[in-house]
Amino acid sequence: MCYIAGVPADGLVSQMRRGALEYCVMALIQQTPRYAFDMIEALGQTGMLTTEGTLYPLLSRLRRDGLVRTEWRESTDGPPRRYYELTAEGRRALTAFRNEWTSFRGAVDGILKEATKS
Amino acid sequence: MTAPHADQLIDGYLARLRAAAADLPRATQQELIDDMSAHVAEARSREAEETDATILNILDRLGEPNVVVADARDRLGLKAEPAYRPGLLEIAAVVLLPFIWVVGVILLWVSPAWKVRDKIIGSIFSLGGYPFIFILGVYAGHAVAPRGYSCGGGVDSNGNVIQAVCTGPSVLDVIGNVLGVVAVIVLFLLPVLTAGYLALRLRWGRRLETAAA
Repeated sequence: MCYIAGVPADGLVSQMRRGALEYCVMALIQQTPRYAFDMIEALGQTGMLTTEGTLYPLLSRLRRDGLVRTEWRESTDGPPRRYYELTAEGRRALTAFRNEWTSFRGAVDGILKEATKS
Repeated sequence: MTAPHADQLIDGYLARLRAAAADLPRATQQELIDDMSAHVAEARSREAEETDATILNILDRLGEPNVVVADARDRLGLKAEPAYRPGLLEIAAVVLLPFIWVVGVILLWVSPAWKVRDKIIGSIFSLGGYPFIFILGVYAGHAVAPRGYSCGGGVDSNGNVIQAVCTGPSVLDVIGNVLGVVAVIVLFLLPVLTAGYLALRLRWGRRLETAAA
């Protein structure tokens, strides 16, 4: 996203959060399939998702890109739920992001720390 | 019941969502609405006690339909297309259709301002335009001449009329002639009526469903 440089820091952070959210969602279903409401509750505590409805286009996108697959299941305590599960491609994408993120975070942290020292 | 307006609030929200998502591809729009409806049902089933306020909170947390749809467009790489404004192309199509049918039909199908159904109706009921109807009429005129009064007779070598027997039209002939006249009127009105229909069916300000790559 080439326009990140053009937006104020505030916009940059929200863009970063927005981009990272896809991978956070994928990480949430890495171990076990979950339904959207369940993910929203998990994300809600982190402040990653302020407008709950925006999770649904994100999930559609992941499904369209073949990163997750879905399945409707009956529930004992509510209406049927659509469960999301990571595909093999989704796992590869998540692993790649995890590596990228670790080195990115390390690099930024390192520079920020150096800057405060001097 | 402690949430007397629950259905009203939810229906209103979903209606606003549907309107905001009207320009998304049909499947995307439907999926979004299904997901949001399922979300509201799930959220309601978790409330110990339902009031109008709890419903409003659920909808508030979901977000304004405009915001959610804008986010969906962004996530799914869908551009908000400016509304298509019918212009010269459509005017030319409507005007030419009854007269230069081939050109009218091509313009009709090129324009995105009509639905396929209307394009089919426009192509068929314009009957090939007036030149075609005229040619058809000439051929039909030769084949079935209108019958009415007919006189049998002749002249002899001196120029005197030797026989002049005229017969009036039979009832069948009258019915046939009336039907013929009606058919001719319909034939001549149809292309113009079809053009008028197309003018009315123009989708003014229709948004196009296009997905950016």
